Amino acid sequence: MGKSARELARAARVDIALDRRDGVVLNRLAQGLFALLGLGVMYVLAQAFAESPAIFVQQMLNGLQLGFIYALIALGYTMIYGIVKLINFAHGDVFMVGAFTSFYVISGLDLHRWPAWLWAGLPEGVVILIGTITVILLSMVVSAFLAMAMERFAYRPLRNKPRIAALITAIGVSFFLEYFGALPFVYSNNYITYTRPFEVTVYTAGSISPWAIGGAWGLFLLSLAGYLLLKWRSRQGDLRAQSWIRHPLLQLGLLLGGFFSVVLTLAGVQIETGGEIWDLSASNVTLVIMGSSIILQVILQYVVNRTKLGKAMRAAAYDKDAARLMGINVDRVIAATFALGGGLAGAGGVLYATAFKQVHHLMGIIPGLKAFVAAVVGGIGSIPGALVGSLIMGQTEVLAAGFISTPMRDAIAFSLLIVVLLVWPQGIFGEPPGEKV
Amino acid sequence: MSILEIKDLYVSYGAIRALHGISFHVEEGEIVTLIGANGAGKSTTLRTISGLLRPDRGEILYDGEEITRLGGDAIVRRRLIQVPEGRRIFAPLTVLENLEMGAFTRDDKREVQASMEWVFELFPRLKERLEQAGGTLSGGEQQMLAVARALMAKPRVLLMDEPSMGLAPILVEEIFEVIEEINEQGVTILLVEQNAQMALSVAHRGYVLETGSIQLEGLSAELARNPQVREAYLGGG
Amino acid sequence: MRKRFLILAVLLTLVILPACGGSGNEEALKIAILAPLSGDVATFGESTRDGALLAIKERNAAGGVLGRQIETTVEDSQCSAEAAVSAGNKVIDQDGVSYIIGEVCSSASIPLSEIVEAKGVFQISPTSTNPSVTINEDGSTKSAVFRACFIDPFQGTVAAKFAQEQLGAKTAAVLLDQGNDYVRGLAEFFKEAFEAGGGEVVVWETYTGEDQDFSAILTKVKAANPDLLYLPDYYSTVNLIGAQAKEKGIEAIMMGGDGWDSPDLDTSAVEGGYFTNHYSADDPRPEVQNFVATYKEEYGATPDALATLAYDAANILMDGMEEAGNDDPMAVAKAIEGMTFDVVSGSIAYDEHHNPVKSAAILQVENGKISFIDSIAP
Repeated sequence: MGKSARELARAARVDIALDRRDGVVLNRLAQGLFALLGLGVMYVLAQAFAESPAIFVQQMLNGLQLGFIYALIALGYTMIYGIVKLINFAHGDVFMVGAFTSFYVISGLDLHRWPAWLWAGLPEGVVILIGTITVILLSMVVSAFLAMAMERFAYRPLRNKPRIAALITAIGVSFFLEYFGALPFVYSNNYITYTRPFEVTVYTAGSISPWAIGGAWGLFLLSLAGYLLLKWRSRQGDLRAQSWIRHPLLQLGLLLGGFFSVVLTLAGVQIETGGEIWDLSASNVTLVIMGSSIILQVILQYVVNRTKLGKAMRAAAYDKDAARLMGINVDRVIAATFALGGGLAGAGGVLYATAFKQVHHLMGIIPGLKAFVAAVVGGIGSIPGALVGSLIMGQTEVLAAGFISTPMRDAIAFSLLIVVLLVWPQGIFGEPPGEKV
Repeated sequence: MSILEIKDLYVSYGAIRALHGISFHVEEGEIVTLIGANGAGKSTTLRTISGLLRPDRGEILYDGEEITRLGGDAIVRRRLIQVPEGRRIFAPLTVLENLEMGAFTRDDKREVQASMEWVFELFPRLKERLEQAGGTLSGGEQQMLAVARALMAKPRVLLMDEPSMGLAPILVEEIFEVIEEINEQGVTILLVEQNAQMALSVAHRGYVLETGSIQLEGLSAELARNPQVREAYLGGG
Repeated sequence: MRKRFLILAVLLTLVILPACGGSGNEEALKIAILAPLSGDVATFGESTRDGALLAIKERNAAGGVLGRQIETTVEDSQCSAEAAVSAGNKVIDQDGVSYIIGEVCSSASIPLSEIVEAKGVFQISPTSTNPSVTINEDGSTKSAVFRACFIDPFQGTVAAKFAQEQLGAKTAAVLLDQGNDYVRGLAEFFKEAFEAGGGEVVVWETYTGEDQDFSAILTKVKAANPDLLYLPDYYSTVNLIGAQAKEKGIEAIMMGGDGWDSPDLDTSAVEGGYFTNHYSADDPRPEVQNFVATYKEEYGATPDALATLAYDAANILMDGMEEAGNDDPMAVAKAIEGMTFDVVSGSIAYDEHHNPVKSAAILQVENGKISFIDSIAP
């Protein structure tokens, strides 16, 4: 049985290869067209940069904030797709539930101030820090349980049915959560103003620019040093170094650090010589969002790569029967994957609500869709892909809105999907077809 | 009491019945082989024992305990381990991670380390490739990894499904030497093979499976001499 | 088969009966209230319904209109064209209603006014500001369609006038939802008046109704550093933009229209901002204070502008009926055209396009509270 399936897969791969050869001319044409389009966009952006580097950098910062939120949602899509090959359309609604959980515990229970109940003399900063972390964790737990319940009652019964059944169910679950939430005794269908767990502080101009430039160079140089060290070690025949050198976080550090240090420095030089003022500003909300997202990503990397559960997840994603033969309880691993993905989406919901200060029962739809596109762009099933795709998505959206056309921002962002899939049919970090049996 | 006893087992894939009431037994310390043509039901038998398939009827007794309805993880915990057909290693995981997955149900760190040492003794080449992704190994190395991974579970009984499949003759020899070595260390082995000649050369006893039923059984030497077996599975000779 | 027929027959009877019964009944006058009771602007709909019902209740208690009691039907028209048209058809054809108070949103009132015009019934929208509500495509005025509020040009014009004369604004940024008639109307008339008054609109940026992240356009606003930020959208979007603008460190004074008037307006997001409105509960005129007191007694809350305008709309309609002396919708319309009404939101007379000529209130959001600043006459 297994053998014939493999033969079929091999045959299919040959077919794909042939199709590719037939489509080469068409592909070249499309690629050429998009290359031209890309050049046009580059020109517009370069002009915008030359005109006012400070604004350009500010826009990129806006994009980073958005990208880091998308990343938290995209990770869930990609992990769940990786293990059950299901696009969980209700994932954006888990994000919404996370936001609402935090809304209720903050405005209803004042939970973000709980340490002050116990220790009256505690400094305000400590109270808020501990309180905020508690709120995020609690929302993550609630979202994780919701995602697990969803898997248990809606998807697991359909595990061995045709994939379309689960997909349709996912859409149903999504509608259920959205319109169940809209009932008057749940959240109602109003736009509700969200209470942030902390006050907003805006950091402006000079105070942040040296930090931004320094941070970018720091990241770049650190990654570069790591890369060179590993390169040297692997020349010496260190096999561990050989695998570490391909680590996505390292590549990401090089890429982001390199890009931002060059852009920021150029902007700095331009501004100094041009006599323009640094008009860069960021609020503590932006910093909290980026910081929490990065911390959660690092924890996730650790869980997936270093813990027994994470390894079992990757094993089960690759081959469920083989995983069962290792004594891995695949059902439980799938449930854990949903919990992990749901928890991250819940954290994303809290951060999104904190950023935009509003909750609504349909708030998960658009961010969910964008994060899904980001996951596909990065290569669905790939965890570093989800992060890279999300950051690209955030930048595309904000730069499009800032320098091309505001009403077209989503159209441009979604066409990114088409362009990327034309160039890399599997997404940037995706695996080529046929590698998985 | 046999360590593994299969009684009157019926298994179907949907409406198609693959096993028509087979019975056999494996004694502790034996190598028993199940030979038969492609589609005779050999892999189905192993998959059913490991809990991946549910039988329509019949019983599987392991060490006197009925395990027919147990989940896959419960069976692995009883150290009844399978090396699946086609190796089925986890290609994106490193060699080390593959081995760790083999020891998934074990919590005794020190003993897991001991198993690891044992595995490296059997397959020194794996030790050189610990950090490499499983998918980058050659076919022979992948088969070794598959066996090594199963050994990491510290099996009492090892079910091996076509370990020689797709390997060059020299590697086939090597793998069968390893099987004998593992058996000498006290592991009972149920070996499913199309390469009947090799299988009968290492096994103590054997069963011949044809279209879902046991047709013949006996000591390996007897089966190897049986004219029917010689004609069907040993190339006429 | 026969059973299904029976059910169908019963259903049909149920649907037809009340309609027949309605036309034969000389006792009660029927008024329908069409308002969005679900969806994004449900709070607008609820206020509208409550204000109109209060006016009718008072009139019924005082003996009714033309000696007859008034019967009301309330329909959820969802602020959408489709829902408003189907609700309109239902109340006219099925319930035999000849007078409609509604809808709240222009995008729903316009299609509703078309069927009202075709079927020869009467409509008064409390709050729809778009000119097309009362005007046909050929420029003629619809025969029996009125509104109780001023129209967009007026709000945009008043806002520009106030910003220049009282706030001293010289430059302004305007952000608008391209797809929303109300928002675009206010924005365009604001721009026209602001530029006519010698000011400059330095940023004119459009967004879509689904946007939640406004960082990109606010970055442009910040770079342009205008005196005024005009946000003529509904409170739900203004909350988002205002909060993000504050975080970007934008110090321009925010200003908007009556879309800000909601209990769900996030006052911290638009702190210090101004908006134009139809009325303010703080206005000392006795009509206002009496109405506020009754409304509070009835519903336990201060009436917002929507409740007030619905209350006024119902009173304008009922006064018109009394004046006409019969319940023919065309006669009532004729009567209203010639009258002057002293209602809560001011003294109203109608121009040739059935638009009220009345004053606007300027309100300020200050220290989390909304207070009455000034009343500006046209």
